[in-house]
Amino acid sequence: MKEFNYTVTDPVGIHARPAGLLVKEAKKYECAIMIFKGEKSCKATSLTKLMGLGIKQGDEIRVTVEGNGEDECAAAMETFFKGNL
Amino acid sequence: MFENNGQLQLIIGTGTVNKVYDEFLSVTGMSAATKDDVKAAAAAKQPLWKRMLKALGDVFVPILPAIVASGLMMGLIEALGKAIPGFAGTDWYGFLDMIANTAFAYLPVIVAVSAARVFGGNIFLGAVIGLSMIHSSLLNAWAVGSADASINYWHLFFFNVRQVGYQGHVVPVVIAVWLMCIIEKWLHKHVPEMIDLFVTPLCTVLATTFLTFTIIGPIFAQLETWVLAGAQVLVQNPIGACIMGAIYPWTVVMGLHHMYNIIEAGMLASVGLNTWMPIASAANFAQFGACLAVGIKARNHKTKVVALPSSLSAALGITEPAIFGINMRFFKPFIAGMIGGAAGALFGAVTGIGAKAYGVTGIPGYLTIDKPVQYTILLAISGGIAFVLSTILWKEETEEDGENGEDGKTAESGVIGADGNETAGDFINNVVFRSSAGELVQPVAGKVIPYTEIRDETFNSGVMGKGVGIEPEEGIVYAPMDGEISSVADSKHAIGIDGAGDMELLIHVGVDTVEMNGDGFTPLVAEGDKVTKGQKLLKFDREKIRAAGHPETVVMLLTNSDDYEDFELKL
Repeated sequence: MKEFNYTVTDPVGIHARPAGLLVKEAKKYECAIMIFKGEKSCKATSLTKLMGLGIKQGDEIRVTVEGNGEDECAAAMETFFKGNL
Repeated sequence: MFENNGQLQLIIGTGTVNKVYDEFLSVTGMSAATKDDVKAAAAAKQPLWKRMLKALGDVFVPILPAIVASGLMMGLIEALGKAIPGFAGTDWYGFLDMIANTAFAYLPVIVAVSAARVFGGNIFLGAVIGLSMIHSSLLNAWAVGSADASINYWHLFFFNVRQVGYQGHVVPVVIAVWLMCIIEKWLHKHVPEMIDLFVTPLCTVLATTFLTFTIIGPIFAQLETWVLAGAQVLVQNPIGACIMGAIYPWTVVMGLHHMYNIIEAGMLASVGLNTWMPIASAANFAQFGACLAVGIKARNHKTKVVALPSSLSAALGITEPAIFGINMRFFKPFIAGMIGGAAGALFGAVTGIGAKAYGVTGIPGYLTIDKPVQYTILLAISGGIAFVLSTILWKEETEEDGENGEDGKTAESGVIGADGNETAGDFINNVVFRSSAGELVQPVAGKVIPYTEIRDETFNSGVMGKGVGIEPEEGIVYAPMDGEISSVADSKHAIGIDGAGDMELLIHVGVDTVEMNGDGFTPLVAEGDKVTKGQKLLKFDREKIRAAGHPETVVMLLTNSDDYEDFELKL
């Protein structure tokens, strides 16, 4: 399993559009991607649950990646977060 | 000539297009728009022909203001032209006649846009289809049959395409646009996104217009020939006149009645008396009577306000608003009109009255008729019978308050009571999209639009999944399906629901309303709650959303719509 932390810089947090983009990205990979915020967590492929986490600008989240090709996937996701969120 | 200008068409029951119609019918359930329509769709076990008429009605009702205005204006102008000698030659007449004609002459465009909306296609592509059918390169349909107009043909593959327009037509346009929507949706699904923007519209327009001109065109040309030949035989004796009086409105519906002035002109030339006009008058005035009965009897405000002006227009000889807006939709008044028309036409033929010119029917018909007294009796018979029969036969379908409770019942006691209180009426059991996983109804009362028309790039791009937007008419969100609340946004304006078949649904109230930080939103459920269809989920303050400067569109998206191959919008 790979993981990394990330602090959200997007002004609306992980809501509507950013969340939609994240889900699209996450669905590209075979491995299971989880998003943790505080005690709450959800799969990165579920838009409604992701929005339910209520991640705002400045929140630190933890991302875990597990499964086939997790190294590339984790690297790609980290790049995605930095570029989009 | 009144009818010339206002032809509207419907092909019903011609074998060649049966296939088209079968599918046509399967689509009609989609177009539920008002509560009454919703009920109709919910009761979708209706006979096919009824649902067909409903589809036509759904296309036609939104455009009624345009044709009622034109119909009345045309009736008055043409009557004035006959009544005041010399007026017909004035500039004022020319100008007013042109304005009054506009909506009828370019009816295909108006119909095409409305049909594209009903069938869920792009309305601008719809407009192109409509425009192509009345293009100025084509011979004007009204000129067909006149001596100096010869029809040219294009030879495409093994088709001979008549270069004739569809001025004033309705049904060929509705069929064409319906076809277009199917082609467009299919292409959207199968064309790679990268080239979708130019491939889909291009192929859609090409395929639709080709099919329209090669298949629909010839069918109508053949129908016109048959109807004309049939009518000429029928008018020679009273029984035939009686039959003609009954089927006349059908030919109006099919848009074939513009051929009749050939008969009228022939009569005037040979015997100097136009005995066709009393038949047409009886048929038209009967539609007036039938429509007026609906206007008087209706309690539904919307029906009333359409029926009364439509009947007035019919009395002046322009029956399209009455036929399409009222009589055909409810159908029983249409039957009443047929019977009244038959009786009136029989009376006219027996008494042998006729007109000295052609072009006007109904009340303006007094200007050309040879025996006004008999003509009055003819109008009284046809209009009266139709009025009485329509009053007896037609019963306004009342909204059954309990109905929503059947499908949209809720476990939450008192939220939507079975007692049929006002609250029950606000939840609209109208399916807006479906997939193999299930059907979803609209979550809030209001006008439903496809997600692609939501004025926000986040939602209309589909990045968050496909679905619909609703311009809300009230501030309560109801559960569109049974399921479990998967999330309630901290800012309270968005709710996630997990439903059957792993559906992950998002209901998002307003655009950019995350910025309101929950002010104006009152969730009635919490994460983990089980909900049933029709249950209240969230209250929102429309005033506050507007005051904050946000669109109040309620967005409902199936966030994982990509997982369902058979996902489709039902608008």
